[in-house]
Amino acid sequence: SAAARRPWRLFGAMCLLRLPRITQPLEKEEEEVSALMEQIELEKSHYSDYEIRKLEEEEQLKRRKESLYDEDEAHGKTVIMAQDLEEKWEQKFLRFKAAPRITDADKSNDRTSLNRKLDSNLMLLVKQKIGNQELWLLPQVEWQPGETLRSTAERAMAMFLGDHIQAKVLGNAPYGIYKYKFPRAIRTEDNMGAKVFFFKAFLQSSDLSQAELKADYLWVTKKELGDYLKPEYLKKVNRFLLD
Amino acid sequence: DALLGCHRSYRSRPTHGIGKFKYLLPKEVPKTRREKVQMKEISAGTEYQYGDVNIQMTSYDLCLVEHFAQYVHRLCNRLSIWVNESYAMPTKTNEVLFLEEKGSKMQLDAVLTTHQRVVQIRGLSSTFAPILLEIIQSSQPEGVHLLVKQHTEADFKSRLKSRPELEELRAQMS
Repeated sequence: SAAARRPWRLFGAMCLLRLPRITQPLEKEEEEVSALMEQIELEKSHYSDYEIRKLEEEEQLKRRKESLYDEDEAHGKTVIMAQDLEEKWEQKFLRFKAAPRITDADKSNDRTSLNRKLDSNLMLLVKQKIGNQELWLLPQVEWQPGETLRSTAERAMAMFLGDHIQAKVLGNAPYGIYKYKFPRAIRTEDNMGAKVFFFKAFLQSSDLSQAELKADYLWVTKKELGDYLKPEYLKKVNRFLLD
Repeated sequence: DALLGCHRSYRSRPTHGIGKFKYLLPKEVPKTRREKVQMKEISAGTEYQYGDVNIQMTSYDLCLVEHFAQYVHRLCNRLSIWVNESYAMPTKTNEVLFLEEKGSKMQLDAVLTTHQRVVQIRGLSSTFAPILLEIIQSSQPEGVHLLVKQHTEADFKSRLKSRPELEELRAQMS
């Protein structure tokens, strides 16, 4: 028959995710609940060994100030007082500096660096030329007969980021599909349109020292995707993105 | 009235032992202690299913790990994944000693306990596995290490305690 097989060109696209490094800040209700639960726990709990020791030593000090018969006991017992230990620990804690949650890249809103937005997923977007237009897309490459779609997606990733990326592809099944028909000018018998299959991968190492082949790349969060992608494309991509 | 008038069938009465029936039932053999281990099921084709999969969570903080294990268990229930077992491995205690030398040698001790919880899953389809992995990974709390692997006999054996006396006797016998 005439329309035996609708010829679609197949593309494999890779959605490379950088997992969040820090937990997201708690919402207002969550903070209130956690504060309440902590208070309840504190009121219900018993004294720990360390606290009992502290109380005993405080009593000893009081007794020593009031009367003098404690001198024989004190020298035989502990050299280290619980108070001293606590002061030492506090000093150590003050010396410790935690890494900043909001990095420099955040402040400058530099979208090409990976250090931005450490508490959410970041995705790779590349500028590709399709037809006549230059569009922002997830990196995609055409499927060649004889290879699996997953290897197509891996090839797309390798093309844009160099060969040795430590990324873990999740499974063989695609996560989403976007199909579009070519505009009538280009449409022929053999080329109705294209189908893009999306695969997901997690970035294992945060080090991208290899040279990027195409200069235009961005690491974007889910909310910022809307700035770059076309609405139809965005709809299909949003379907398989968590967070 | 019924309470006052009930006749307890004491041993002298002919109705003694009137309600007994256990002697009529077939005898039950007590079950052996050894459990069967291997349950592997790989059906090739488009429907690829994993066999037993262990999700192991380790952390220093007991409450976090337990709550996370509960969360994972309930998630699997909601997503109708069959959960074989959900058990805990024995805790390991580590003592950390600081040897500071500022004039007099001081030793500061810290005692850390490592807790581990395991949730065992069966019948995970390969199309769904990556989604589940992603959900669990993105909802990991701080300080909890996650490890997903297939269940092996070595994992099963690690839960059992070795009996040194038994092994000595066996060695003596052979």
